[in-house]
Amino acid sequence: MSIEVNGGRRGLTDPEIAAVIMAAVPDKPLETQRKMNYFMKPRGKRINEYEVLCCYSQPTPDWIPGGLDWGDWTQKFHGGRPSWSNESTEMRSSDWLAHRDPAFRWHALYVKDKAEEWRYTDRFLKAYSADGHVRSIDPVWRDEVLGDYLGAFGFYEYGLFNAHSSVVRDCLGDTLRMSSAMIGLDKVDNAQMIQAERTFLSKLVPGFPESTDIPKQEWTKGSIFKGARELVQDIWQATYDWNEILFSGHMICDPIFGQFVRREFFMRLSSYYGDNLTPFFINQMQLYFSQTKGITTDMFHTCLGADVEFGDYNNRLMRAWANKWLPRTVNALKDFMEIYATIPEIKGVSDKPAIEVALVRVFDDWKRDFADPINYKMDTAALVKTVLSGLK
Amino acid sequence: MAISTATKAATDALAANPAPVSVGAQEVHRWMQSFTWDFDKNRTKYSTKYKMANDTKEQFKLIAKEYARMESVKDERQFGSLQDVLTRVDAANRVHPKWNESMKVISNFLEVGEYNAIAATGMLWDSATAPEQKNGYLGQVLDEIRHTNQCAYINYYFAKQGQDAAGHNDARRTRAIGPLWKGMKRVFSDGFISGDAVECSINLQLVGEACFTNPLIVAVTEWASANGDEMTPTVFLSIETDELRHMANGYQTVVSIANDEAASKYLNTDLNNAFWTQQKYFTPVLGMMFEYGSHFKVEPWVKTWNRWVYEDWGGIWIGRLGKYGVESPLSLRDAKKDAYWAHHDLFLIAYALWPTGFFRLSLPTAEEAEWYEANYPGWYDMYGKVYDEWRARGCEDPSSGFLPIQWFIENNHPIYIDRVSQVPFCPSYCKGESTLRVLEYNGKKHSFSDQWGERMWLSEPERYECQNIFEQYEGRELSDVIAEGFGVRSDGKTLISQPHTNKDGKLWTLDDIKRINCVFSDPLKAL
Repeated sequence: MSIEVNGGRRGLTDPEIAAVIMAAVPDKPLETQRKMNYFMKPRGKRINEYEVLCCYSQPTPDWIPGGLDWGDWTQKFHGGRPSWSNESTEMRSSDWLAHRDPAFRWHALYVKDKAEEWRYTDRFLKAYSADGHVRSIDPVWRDEVLGDYLGAFGFYEYGLFNAHSSVVRDCLGDTLRMSSAMIGLDKVDNAQMIQAERTFLSKLVPGFPESTDIPKQEWTKGSIFKGARELVQDIWQATYDWNEILFSGHMICDPIFGQFVRREFFMRLSSYYGDNLTPFFINQMQLYFSQTKGITTDMFHTCLGADVEFGDYNNRLMRAWANKWLPRTVNALKDFMEIYATIPEIKGVSDKPAIEVALVRVFDDWKRDFADPINYKMDTAALVKTVLSGLK
Repeated sequence: MAISTATKAATDALAANPAPVSVGAQEVHRWMQSFTWDFDKNRTKYSTKYKMANDTKEQFKLIAKEYARMESVKDERQFGSLQDVLTRVDAANRVHPKWNESMKVISNFLEVGEYNAIAATGMLWDSATAPEQKNGYLGQVLDEIRHTNQCAYINYYFAKQGQDAAGHNDARRTRAIGPLWKGMKRVFSDGFISGDAVECSINLQLVGEACFTNPLIVAVTEWASANGDEMTPTVFLSIETDELRHMANGYQTVVSIANDEAASKYLNTDLNNAFWTQQKYFTPVLGMMFEYGSHFKVEPWVKTWNRWVYEDWGGIWIGRLGKYGVESPLSLRDAKKDAYWAHHDLFLIAYALWPTGFFRLSLPTAEEAEWYEANYPGWYDMYGKVYDEWRARGCEDPSSGFLPIQWFIENNHPIYIDRVSQVPFCPSYCKGESTLRVLEYNGKKHSFSDQWGERMWLSEPERYECQNIFEQYEGRELSDVIAEGFGVRSDGKTLISQPHTNKDGKLWTLDDIKRINCVFSDPLKAL
């Protein structure tokens, strides 16, 4: 038969072609080692599918620790700067490929989760609207807090999202790169969910402004988010070290400022103001926060802080970064305290003692999950006092 | 509207129309362009000589959750096919052995391109100022992660289910040994991520994706299917559904700089360099993988190349960008010449260096030789007779003591590596366009095979300093190099690479190579 195959004939199904192929196939497999990436050290007992599909896809040479390639870069930046280099971060590692997403999510698993969340969101919103829940929301909470300040908080999430772009470009490991892109996407998803909630409200409440104009005005010119805005801008564009971007964003700023605003303000207070819509969205954001925390604590504590060769140095550097970014985060929270003056006070919920308890919760969580593992000393009472000084 | 009035209106509206309401992706996306704000420090970390416009839109208006929904549906279809019907019919063991070997290279090298494109589009996401444009690049970041995983899945699947797992199971560790790797890194890795951000976009999206993904990801599925491989079409065509958005991103990159004065000065030069960079590797390598890595042929590579590269891309796609001042690259004419012979030249060298691969190569059979001669008149006199000579000297037999590289040495045909593209060439024995040019810089000699690469190097030699495999391995014995690069199977002695795919043929071991005592030397030192 001719070896030129036309007309879409397929070797699997065309009997004539299949016969030729089967005659050439070895009688038994030529290799017994069938596990892809069998040479690597798995995080658990066995190499899992995530590790098979992601690990060692980074083609860096061995002078970037963890790399399996050799030699120089085949094309560099104008002027000769290398494609990737150890100098892109102050952190040191004996293996930049060591990080694992604790949930072992490769792309298909990641989008599957998010697709389910989207479908469920659609069903929830339909049920919520049909049930008329919107009637129960306190008007001030709805029109000022959700309309203006939740909208303004969307810019916080959007700014932190953008901080991931250079991390995705510059970081030195494959699983680091994939994790960074995914936690970045979660941040823009948060911003989009906030806008989705506002759009949804505008459909249910005639006159509720869907536009981002007022929230943007609040974010860029208002005093409530002034500290947060300056903090986010510096994480996004004034910081060049990709590890410092991730550390400042996900180990300090978001676990303190982001957690307080999402969990202790919007989610905790919303039900008191008759709002059971916002918690639906904030809960998704909190799921992403939890997943991100797993990822970034693996990066900074499990891998870099415990690095056999560089662990002590890395922990010292993380403490120095904490000294740099914690005061700015506290200042952002202090500015945010002004928001309480805009809502009707509910005793034991939105008064000063309740706010103080909420702040202690956030700082205690941060101490346990982020400060203690790097032996960072902090005075929770002093920090809370500083934040509370922002109450009007 | 006063607050109390708004509440009443909401109540009245519900009473009048209690129909369920939700929010669509487009209703959220239409606000995206307003998500950003101006501030003093707001500038990209990756410099570009072009200015990207602040109001650039994207063509595919996705939000995060809608993106996930779309991809998840495609994943379900794709992985369902792979894990269900294709496994039940034992599809991986019904692939022609030659093609099984080709997929070790194609899938892994494409994975490198996809992986580096994650970083490349991260850079573009940083460089763009318009939120919609950033969003388009963000979608591509996620897509490239998907494609990295998908390409890996091909190797994973073939390793787990197929006839020869070696090479599929450890490509990420063994791929760096041979002569094809560094050139691949130039086009698929560094060319995408190292340089002016817009120049990288042109490399990745305007040339790599708009031009070469058609033959690489679409045409390859026809070759795969003809040779019994249904896994590759299942995965690659799913990849290609995302590539459309990436081409649109490339188009929008050009749109975003179209009104910038720098575009009229630099865009066509950058496009010409990018095209030559990409084609210099892809034209010969894809042709070689298709024609020499298969038993059943779909059509001569030169026809595929003409249709996808010359007509569709150089004519139609670039033509659409003509209104923005974009012209077909000057180097397209030279590339067209390479499309005829360069892959034959490259296979001659690749086969001669077969022990450094992570795949098995095969000499053309008699019927294949007939096909080559019919489609490339003059093929036998140049290549066919050499293969006959090599076969007669026992190049497939481990006991022969003959490696084809010896033929090049005996006949005084030195193989050089082009410094810019890192593609090997033999100027004294080729029918393609390669000619030897040697320049000295900082006490080091550099060889070049064409004027376009030489020009790039002359402009910016500091960008192209990478040593090549002959410099790296100089003075080292071949079996040592293979062992160090883990080029052996799980028995610790049989090579992953082999010079044949005959089911009854003997397999070469490290000892067989060691007996020949082949030592690397740098041909530039002899000049």
